[in-house]
Amino acid sequence: MDFLLQLLANGLVNGTFYALSALGLTLIFGLMRVVNFAHGELYMVGGLIGWALTELVGANFFLALLIVVIATGAAGYLIDRWLIERVRNQGAESGILLTIGISIFLTNTALLIVGTVPHKVLSPFANKPLFLGPVVLTQSRLSIVAICAVLMLAVHLLIKHTTLGRAMRATVQDAMAASLVGIRTERIHGFTFALGTALASAAGALLGSIYVTQPTIGGLVSLKAFVVVILGGLGSFAGAIIGGLVLGVAEALWGGYFATGYVDAIGFALVIVMLLVRPYGLFSVKSERA
Amino acid sequence: MRKTCLGIAASVVMAATAAQAQETIKIGLIQPLTGSVAYNGKTDVNGATLAVDMRNAKGGVMGKKIDLVVEDGQCRPAESVNAAEKLIQRDKVVALAGAFCSSATLAVMPVAANYKIPLITGVSSNASLTEKGNKYFFRATETDELLAKSFAKVVFDTLKLRNVAYIGVNDDWGRGGVAEFEKQMTALGAKTVMKEYFEHGTTDFYTLLTKLKSSGADGAFVAAETQDGSIFVKQKAEFGLPVKVFGVGSWATADFIKLTGDASEGLYAAVPYASTMTTPKNKAFVDAYVERFKEPPGKYSAAGFNSLNIMMDAIERAGSTDAEKIRESLTKTNYEGPNGHFQFDAKGQATGFSVVLVQLQKGVPNVIATTTVEH
Amino acid sequence: MIFERRFLLGALAIAIVFPLLGWSEYVIHVGVLIMFSIMLATGFNLIVGYVGEFSLGHTAFLGIGAYTAALLSSSLGMPIFFNIAAAAVVAAIAGFFIGAVTLRLRGPFFVIVTLCFAEVLRIVANNWVALTNGPMGIAGIVKPAWMAQQTALQQKIDFYYIGLALVTVCVYFAYRFVYSFLGRAVVTIRENRFVAQSVGIWPYSYSLLAFVVASAMAGVAGAFYAHYVSYVGPEVFGFPFMISMIIMVLLGGKGTLIGPVIGPVIVVLLEEYLRDFKDLRFSIFGLVIVAVVLFVPQGLMGFVAARREQYARK
Repeated sequence: MDFLLQLLANGLVNGTFYALSALGLTLIFGLMRVVNFAHGELYMVGGLIGWALTELVGANFFLALLIVVIATGAAGYLIDRWLIERVRNQGAESGILLTIGISIFLTNTALLIVGTVPHKVLSPFANKPLFLGPVVLTQSRLSIVAICAVLMLAVHLLIKHTTLGRAMRATVQDAMAASLVGIRTERIHGFTFALGTALASAAGALLGSIYVTQPTIGGLVSLKAFVVVILGGLGSFAGAIIGGLVLGVAEALWGGYFATGYVDAIGFALVIVMLLVRPYGLFSVKSERA
Repeated sequence: MRKTCLGIAASVVMAATAAQAQETIKIGLIQPLTGSVAYNGKTDVNGATLAVDMRNAKGGVMGKKIDLVVEDGQCRPAESVNAAEKLIQRDKVVALAGAFCSSATLAVMPVAANYKIPLITGVSSNASLTEKGNKYFFRATETDELLAKSFAKVVFDTLKLRNVAYIGVNDDWGRGGVAEFEKQMTALGAKTVMKEYFEHGTTDFYTLLTKLKSSGADGAFVAAETQDGSIFVKQKAEFGLPVKVFGVGSWATADFIKLTGDASEGLYAAVPYASTMTTPKNKAFVDAYVERFKEPPGKYSAAGFNSLNIMMDAIERAGSTDAEKIRESLTKTNYEGPNGHFQFDAKGQATGFSVVLVQLQKGVPNVIATTTVEH
Repeated sequence: MIFERRFLLGALAIAIVFPLLGWSEYVIHVGVLIMFSIMLATGFNLIVGYVGEFSLGHTAFLGIGAYTAALLSSSLGMPIFFNIAAAAVVAAIAGFFIGAVTLRLRGPFFVIVTLCFAEVLRIVANNWVALTNGPMGIAGIVKPAWMAQQTALQQKIDFYYIGLALVTVCVYFAYRFVYSFLGRAVVTIRENRFVAQSVGIWPYSYSLLAFVVASAMAGVAGAFYAHYVSYVGPEVFGFPFMISMIIMVLLGGKGTLIGPVIGPVIVVLLEEYLRDFKDLRFSIFGLVIVAVVLFVPQGLMGFVAARREQYARK
């Protein structure tokens, strides 16, 4: 029983982290219809900037987080306006190939700059074990889970209840109509991509304080994020959270009761089964279009 | 279009012929510079570069400078084969060192044999490599089997481990290490209570740790490299688990200790090299290395340093860059490295050097047992 | 069509003569890699260029073909040509099942679920030690018997011609497929599946057929690769192969037959050439991809086609 409880706790904590690292991806897909293959690399960049600020500069963790969000958000805006803008409406492949190109560039440029050593973002939270009955947790993990929740809520409110959020949603529903009522859709796309980028790199900086960060982690992060997003339904915010938790718990249970070597396959297997049963995810907002 | 293709092809050939006019002696080194073990590959290259620069400063080999040509093999067999082809064909290297991962080295071995170019590895530890009957292949490091044989008894006796959990990274090296240690420890009477593998780049070990906790193990054998190993060790400390850990891999390195912080206190690691070894050769090596790279050398730095030195010695002794003569000369290797003495047996496996069991105390790997690798 | 046929025959003639010009082994090695890549790209192009769906899991069939050949060769000692044929069949069967599942989905869902299949297979290959030897891979796949006495150069030339023969077969199949009613049906589906349905073309089964043919070609490429490199490990299922495949097809020009022939030539040469840039090479490679998407979105052949149209109008 204790064993099961601990596994569930691990799974839920991990699931929250998965959800966090997938938010940027689902946002960019849901509001822009771009499958962002550079997602994991944006996460990695966030982690590395976080490391550079906290370890090399000695900045406060929260200040570093703020700088990460602003800096990568601005970079995301430029990436959209300069690159993605030009392949908009050219079909999915162009976007995918473009982001693959960006991801290869980011990974290897980061390798050139910071080298291959894994780094850690310094956070003010303690890593001492925290015993809740039979279950072990740490202060740092719980704090990051709390920050995740705040972040998710903030983004949710931004999208649902602000003018900018409404403009974003209008743009994805019908860009032509949106521009007719005076929304500058190009800028809105840029802001959406900026927000997705900022979320991805915030996740990288936050989780970089729990795990480590290094230039080559992007691919794995992207893959897990895809699994999470598909499980929940591409573009659905609540879905991404559920998808993350499902993946986290499923991995923990599988790893706990069967072999850990196959753990990474669980997510993919879930996705395959899911798409057979409910082709557009648990919480899909997708509708068929001609 | 056709014309351009031909044009490009033609310039490939021109580049190849231009490389032929050599004033220097070229040695090729294949290491993973990108990918999951890139970090370790890089430290190997550092060690190799240091060996070459030190030799060149003393006048090189046979009066010629050594030119070290480094290629990225990504630890992938196919990429490593491409890199080997490129080094042999385009750069005309006279000898090869490398490919880090055993599977990559295994793929390069037939290429080396095909072109009759001697190949030395300082890292690939899968026991089967030297059983292939490839007479151009030499291994200047321990095998998983030899390391397990040398340390199983020490671990069993000094750490008093009876119920052992085996955890390894899911690749040829991790699986090989787990298999050999389990074999040796079981022979001594230890019970296997858990055996699990994890993927390169795993970020969360809580599931494994939960299993480890409920397995009732009093000690865990862990085969992991810097990144995975450091996360494992940190999370084990977070988990508050009083299980003794002894690891193989790059555990006694400065970066590992920096990443793990307090969590590394009391860990045991079985390594073929630690910067705290007390031989005079090692002191000179560590000083030179620290001066150049601002950090103490690790296991792979020593591996790169040794393999290049052994190769350069062999070329010097052969008095020629003829592959067959270098190979001949390699078999007569008698090299004193930072971690002891190296000579090759008939299969190309090095023996005579030391391997150590260290315990990390206050961020320093203290040597608690040393043995010599013999058959 | 006539231009395509002339170009392909011309390229074949050049490819036949090419090794006779006394190149070094390295150049022939690069040639063999190009042959391997053309097989992959030609198959992949059938899906991405003609069916119009973007698969990220084509390495699944490359890997299945490679493992089929490796296992047949190492455990049963079967000869190379038998293995290549067997790999084609096994990959086609796998393609049938995977295609039957995935082709029900479209757009990003298809993209990601195909990627999932390839990843699951990679993880299985990595863990099912009893069958695949796990991460250690299958080494020492024997070279054909007649090569035993040959020099390294001659062996490479032999592989080059085997590769060329396989490429010819693949491209011929692709050609026949594209210019048959099947190909036209598939293109109709790509352009507008609703119109296709209205004239009686059932998208699912035609797409599946193209998918199976493409899988078989990837299987052939895998088997060829296994025998050439003489080693197969789980990384044949990996994403890097997929990335090169995509770039080759899109750079050459998807939906054309020439594109997947010149794409690999350029990409393989580029990859080898960028080695001179050492650490910078992948950064440059990434930028090249971005540049291709931005400046030649239809690939080189799309670019050429547009030019030819302009020319014809004048």
